[in-house]
Amino acid sequence: MTKRQTRLFFIVGTLVFAGIFVGLTVDSHRQFGRLTNADLITADVSAGKDVWHDNNCINCHTLLGEGAYYAPDLTKITQHRGVPYLTAFLEDPSRFYSEEQYRRLMPNPELTDREIEQVLAFLDWVSRIDNQGWPPRPILVTGSRFAGVEAGARTADAASDEPVALGQTLFSQSPATCSACHSTAPGVQLAGPSLAGIGTRVATLLAEGGYGGSATTAEGYLREAIVQPSAHLVPGETFSAEGRSFMPDNYSQLLTDEQVDHLVDYLLTLR
Amino acid sequence: MRYRSQRIAYAYFAVALFLYGLQLAFGMLSAAKYLGPDPLIDILPFDVTKAIHTNLLIVWVLTGFMGAAYYVVPEESRTEIYSPRLAYWQLGIWTVNGVVAVVGYMFGWTEGNKLLEQPVPVKITIVIVMLMFLYNIFRTMMKGGRWTTTENVLVAGLGLAALLYLPALLQFHNYTVSIFYRWWTIHLWVEGVWEMVQAGLLAYLLIRLSGADREMLEKWLYVIVGLVFIAGIIGTAHHYYWVGVPQYWLPLGGIFSARVQLALFAMAMWAYFAMRRSGFSHPNKLAIHWTVGSAIYTAFGAGLLGLAHTWPSVNKWTHGTLITPMHGHSAFFGAYVMVVLAVVTYAMPHLTRDGDEGRESTLGYWAFWLQAAGMLGMTMAFATAGIAQTYLERIMGLGYLETQLKIQVHFLMLIGAATVFSVGAACFIWDFFRQRPIELFGGPGPEVDADRPAPEAVLT
Ligand code: HEC
Ligand code: HEC
Ligand code: HEM
Ligand SMILES: [Fe+2]
Repeated sequence: MTKRQTRLFFIVGTLVFAGIFVGLTVDSHRQFGRLTNADLITADVSAGKDVWHDNNCINCHTLLGEGAYYAPDLTKITQHRGVPYLTAFLEDPSRFYSEEQYRRLMPNPELTDREIEQVLAFLDWVSRIDNQGWPPRPILVTGSRFAGVEAGARTADAASDEPVALGQTLFSQSPATCSACHSTAPGVQLAGPSLAGIGTRVATLLAEGGYGGSATTAEGYLREAIVQPSAHLVPGETFSAEGRSFMPDNYSQLLTDEQVDHLVDYLLTLR
Repeated sequence: MRYRSQRIAYAYFAVALFLYGLQLAFGMLSAAKYLGPDPLIDILPFDVTKAIHTNLLIVWVLTGFMGAAYYVVPEESRTEIYSPRLAYWQLGIWTVNGVVAVVGYMFGWTEGNKLLEQPVPVKITIVIVMLMFLYNIFRTMMKGGRWTTTENVLVAGLGLAALLYLPALLQFHNYTVSIFYRWWTIHLWVEGVWEMVQAGLLAYLLIRLSGADREMLEKWLYVIVGLVFIAGIIGTAHHYYWVGVPQYWLPLGGIFSARVQLALFAMAMWAYFAMRRSGFSHPNKLAIHWTVGSAIYTAFGAGLLGLAHTWPSVNKWTHGTLITPMHGHSAFFGAYVMVVLAVVTYAMPHLTRDGDEGRESTLGYWAFWLQAAGMLGMTMAFATAGIAQTYLERIMGLGYLETQLKIQVHFLMLIGAATVFSVGAACFIWDFFRQRPIELFGGPGPEVDADRPAPEAVLT
């Protein structure tokens, strides 16, 4: 090979592959709209993107897995936590997390109510992007995907079609991901109360009064707690505000009736 | 040094090394925050220290590249720099712009886009400075009229780097689209045109240090840069995983970024054989260390560790974990830090008063080995932390915050290795500044050592 030939190799090779790359780029543009639900980019989503950038959130967090590694990935955060919870969190993160416990804390971003609304609209739009199903399993901020264990083996047989097992699997999997907020270990409080012993606790509550909802049985109570979380509130400063539970209120749409039944069946076994 | 205007390089190197020191200070601060708790949380939170850390890296490496070009191009073109005054103005504006950006970050003046945080006025100034630089260098090359392959590749790399910065000025409505074009800048820099700069500088150093035949080296230079582009351009796909782009980028990312290996491996071989042929006889042994070191470390950090997480089925689990900085640190260090330090080490004897090429500097060797070993340690710390994180958080499903608590020991390891590294860097910086530079302005005669023959005349 002479130098002229290798130069030709360099120039032709580069041009050919740059050409292919540009072609693929044009094709990608044809698909961006569909893959990202561009029609859902409202003025709020757009403004929320600016809030995200202006506050440098990307230099602590990852979004779509890109960014910095100091804070949790937020790609699916709005599917794990509802707007009421996230609003309260962004108003004052130190109410929900302690630096003593985790050795780091999100500084108060000092956003206005409107900015919080917008950035959450943006994050919600991001969570719906078709990104080849990533992450393959939910990434949690705290807690554990596996009920009752911090980092142990899976206790239920995922392949089983027995309702309790199905409920237990669903508990830690998308779209329910209850485990993002509830531990089943006694005393482990995440964003929501621990559900250890809930089966027994509910029976006592119903028998002793102090419950204002419309359920009369434990099953009914749990079903209501899932699909209508604000009907009865577990007391706790970080659980609700102004009579509104921080638990997402859209499970009646996200889950089928059958799935809710499985969850209830599973929760009843926690005694 | 044969040409007076090559002295400009000294000023660029001095600024670059100063910023290098600053970069490490902000890096240490960020690592300390990983350990926590953070007493500075309300004054200087992690996002600020981290943005400053990475921005300083890019700025000082570019400063080093420009200094290197001001040193290399006169020799290659056999003529003085077109306008030394312009070169100093350029450095001045560049430095002030950098200071403004860093201070701005501390007060929340940022675009909050990873690695491209510079606010628009800062970005525009960067473009203007790059144009000043390219104009100056281009006029020099025209004046010399030699257009050697080595300088062509070097300057084309820097020109394309300026060009690829332009997409960063665009604003996109759609976050996915803005990610898509962010990588045109970042990926096509580090796995494309910067690689071209690195290869150009390596070619220059190998010609000078090994005396290997220029024709032969430059012939292979084209092959290497060609391989880099053939694989690297479409290799951008490995940043298009899981961000909302069409499915076909997944296999493309896997296949093409695996092929980059070929280019990086070829580069290491190229440097090694060029050196072996001549028997390492050049008196500036330290410069040989940095030159060969750069080629080998690149194959490790960019090549091997890039490959480690570039396959989509692996990246699915590691994406967004500490595995990414494992690779990012060793790749940047091997490819760009080491090559800049190689040029500085090679050029220093020509830029200082004693001008002894065979100067044996114990401190210089400490600087080399402590940095090389320190970076290896940091890479291992990030790797072990990243593997543990991937396993606990992504596979076992433990919460992010609990996982971070479990991997504290790796952060301690990181800080330990980073300390070793920083001591090495401090040795380098100290060794640089303790040597007295030749007079930077005015000074005797048109050519400081015109009586010395052109290096090539000796070597070929
Ligand atoms: C200095 C680093 C830092 C910055 C900047 C930052 N965060 Fe955070 N963020 C954290 C940390 C750490 C956590 C984990 C919870 C905690 O310790 O407070 C967190 C948690 C979160 C959570 C999850 C809370 C939960 O319980 O589910 C959301 C949502 C969030 N951040 C949004 C944002 C947004 C939006 C911005 C930008 C306006 C932002 N963060 C900027 C560090 C940061
Ligand atoms: C964003 C966090 C969050 C998620 C996700 C979440 N919850 Fe809750 N949950 C809460 C909070 C906060 C409360 C307490 C306030 C209230 O009573 O609504 C609560 C309360 C409950 C209660 C009542 C507990 C009691 O002691 O009476 C049940 C049962 C429950 N959740 C089940 C679930 C199930 C099942 C899922 C998954 C489908 C789920 N939660 C998902 C936050 C969450
Ligand atoms: C000198 C060359 C290289 C440098 C300086 C470099 C640097 C970096 C940096 C800084 C990142 C993090 C970027 C970010 O998250 O914003 C990164 C990511 C990445 N690099 Fe490289 N890299 C180089 C070469 C390579 C090669 C050769 C490969 C593949 C073989 C590779 C594969 C990857 C992958 C897959 C990621 C994305 C990781 C993820 O986000 O999941 N890199 N690189
Ligand atoms: Fe890349």
